[in-house]
Order: sequence, then structure tokens, then C-alpha cells
Amino acid sequence: MVYGIVPPYLLARIAELDDKKFAHAARSARRALEQADPMRAARLLFSLDDDNTLVVEVGDGPNRTISDAANAETLPGMEVRSEGEEPTGDPAADEAYDGLGATFALFSEVYKRNSINGAGLPLDATVHYGEDYDNAFWDGERMVFGDGDGEIFRRFTISLSVIGHELTHGVTQYTAALEYQGQSGALNESVSDVFGALVEQYTRNQTAAEASWLIGEGLFTDEVEGTALRSMKAPGTAYNDDVLGQDPQPGHLDDYIETDDDNGGVHLNSGIPNHAFYLVAEALGANAWERAGQIWYDTLTGPLDTKATFAEFATATIEAAEARYGGSSDEADAVRAGWSGVGVVLEKSGSQTRSRSTS
Amino acid sequence: MTEARSETTAVWTILVVRTGGFAGLRREWRVSSTDEPSVDWPALIDACPWTTRYPPSRSNDRFVWRIEAVAPPRTKKATLPESSLTGSWAVLVDQVKTVTAR
Repeated sequence: MVYGIVPPYLLARIAELDDKKFAHAARSARRALEQADPMRAARLLFSLDDDNTLVVEVGDGPNRTISDAANAETLPGMEVRSEGEEPTGDPAADEAYDGLGATFALFSEVYKRNSINGAGLPLDATVHYGEDYDNAFWDGERMVFGDGDGEIFRRFTISLSVIGHELTHGVTQYTAALEYQGQSGALNESVSDVFGALVEQYTRNQTAAEASWLIGEGLFTDEVEGTALRSMKAPGTAYNDDVLGQDPQPGHLDDYIETDDDNGGVHLNSGIPNHAFYLVAEALGANAWERAGQIWYDTLTGPLDTKATFAEFATATIEAAEARYGGSSDEADAVRAGWSGVGVVLEKSGSQTRSRSTS
Repeated sequence: MTEARSETTAVWTILVVRTGGFAGLRREWRVSSTDEPSVDWPALIDACPWTTRYPPSRSNDRFVWRIEAVAPPRTKKATLPESSLTGSWAVLVDQVKTVTAR
């Protein structure tokens, strides 16, 4: 059994096969071509049936394009690798390509979502943005990665969780559209950390107990006293460095940071919902992308106010768990306990769940 | 004319704070106009559109810049998204970073 990302020219070739043995494959390829958006790629699952006939199943595939900004701040830069092409030899470009593929695979294979918009949107990324640029961001249309300064930060594509984080901003943009300010902004950030972590775990086939729950592991150079930028397992412990200071993320609502900076501390207070997700995943065990991840995905794609508070999001996760697994299920209990563990207390369970004001 | 003369002779303190970004790290640069008298700080400050209100950015994980220029009793403050750090803002911020790096 072989998974392949099949470019349109190969689909066309399979579609033209005139051998009875490949009739099923040819039909599948013709169907894929008929249905295909020219911008969409397909994923084919090849197998042999009981009669030793080749069977090809058509699925969704990513359509990635990586560009190189050549250390300028002009987007998109020069295209260096598109879908199906061989590696470039440039680690940043190839890590971006592979990371987008890994993130696409999580959303497609686990949550049945075809790319960022659910309809095969091409995945575009730019690497080598700016000079010594210490950042990665989602600009509303593409993922952009800096090289880091080499003193504190390495290149931002080095961490798969960073790539998953950025692509998830795109998914949030097309679903819950959480406003990037205050608590809804921290939730936007947290959702990106959650699925960024899950991309790493799914790719490495790690259980919740085996995973590091670190975001941006490997980004710091050896000069920095720290393992990553954030820890979902223990917010506030990812680094403690003479120059950078201590990781300021809170892991409990009691320590919520009120600030006008950083759109109301979206990268700080995300530690609270991050830790809630960790507690849910830890309680449920096994693979976090299955039940815990499914509940968060259902929440993100369900009815949710764009200005949702932590309490409103928590309520939505409990309702999502109850809808999928039942009101008295282990999953719903784990979600309630997870939010309780970070101080987001809900007054009732079930459809009557209403949260205390926390904003 | 009086305002312009006053601006020229005043001692300005300029604070530049960068927050946000994927890492969420805070960086800060601060200078006094007396740190580098050869720079025409009042001109750099006056060139910036302090009263402009910037719309929310569509981007996520970009830096947010807070810039303050204080020469009591005058205080000028602005918060702008990274994508708006261009033109006179970029000139002022680059000058502050250059002087503090010395």
C-alpha cells in the first residue's frame, strides 16, 4: 500500500490506461480529473483487491508552493518549490514544504478537512523573509518564516510546531475567526498552539504521555537557557535566561495578564487555554489528536462568537464533547476537569452550561 | 514659530517597545535626545503621524510596536502594527535602535 501525491499529468496518464487490469484505476483517475479544481492536488491510495486488481482511491492532497524572499521583506518572493517537485536542498524551503504537508495530513486524515478553507486552498509559504528576522507569521494569505538572528533564534522552519501553528491561523480565519485581541485573541493563539503540537505528535506517532508539549522546540540557539518558546504542559517554564528573562506565560486564570501590549497579551494568556487542553489530553490518554483534538476541532468549526471569552470557549468545548461522546462520557468529564484545572469554572453541565464572567 | 523653537530645545525621551511576534517576547529601546545631539530628534518626531489610528491587522503573530516621545509636558504615543512601521516611523525607530546599540 503506497500513499502518493499525484500530479495532474500522472492522473491523466492513469486515466488513459486501456488495460482491463487497471480499469478501476483509470475510472478513478478520470473521476478525479472531472471533479478536480485545476488548483487542487489529489492523494491516491493504491492497493490490490482479492483478485489482484489494482485499486486506486482518490482523496485530498495538498497543493504547496514555497517561495524565497531572499532576505527582503517583499512577498511572495521567488518560487522555489511547488507541489510534487524534488527537494531544493535549502533546509528552510524543504522544511516548510514538509511541514505544510504534515499539517495538511493531520487536518485531512484525522478531521477530514481539505486544507485551510476546507475546499483545497493552496498552501503558500515564504522562507528567508527579512534580514535576521526573528519571527514567523500568517499574513492572511500565506505563511512567512524568518531565518532568525543566529544568536537567539535559529530559522523558524526548524520546528514543525511553528509551521503547524501558522497554518492553523489560516484554519481559524476560515472557521471561528476569533478576533485577535484580548481573550479571543489568546484563544486564537492557543488553538494554533494546540494543533501545532498535534501536528508534531501525529507525525511522530507520539501519545499524549510521550509528547513534549513544547511549542517551538529547537528554535533557540545553544546560547539561550531554554528548551522552547512555550510549554503547554507547564506554562511559564519553557525558558529562563539572563537575556530573555523567564517565560511569562500563565497557566491559570488567577494569573491572567492585563496588558495593552501584544494585542492584549495574546501570546501570554494563551498559556491558560493551552494548559486546559493539555489537562484534557492527559486525562484521556492515548493519542491527543483523537478525542481531545476532535473536541477542539468541533469547537473551532462549530458555533462560536468571534469575540469568545475563555469561559464561552470552554462552554463550547463541553457542548462539543457532549454532542460527540455523550453528556456523562469520559470525554465530557475530562473537558470539564481541564477547564476547572485552569480556573475557568462553569456553573452547570450539559446544554444549560453557562460560565461565570471571566473577562 | 515659538512651538518649533521649543521643540528644538526640549529634551526628548523616546521609548520604543516591540511586543508580540510568534515568540511573544518583549523588547524595548529607550534614548534621550541628549544621547546623540547630532540627530535632529524633534524633526524625526514631528515627521511621524502620531494621530493616525491603524486598523486591526489581518495578520497573526506579527510584531506590535508602541512608540512614545516625551518632553514634559508634551507626550506623544502611538501603537502600530508591524506592517505600518514604514516611512517616518521606520526612520525614527531605526534611529532609536541605532543609538541604543552604541
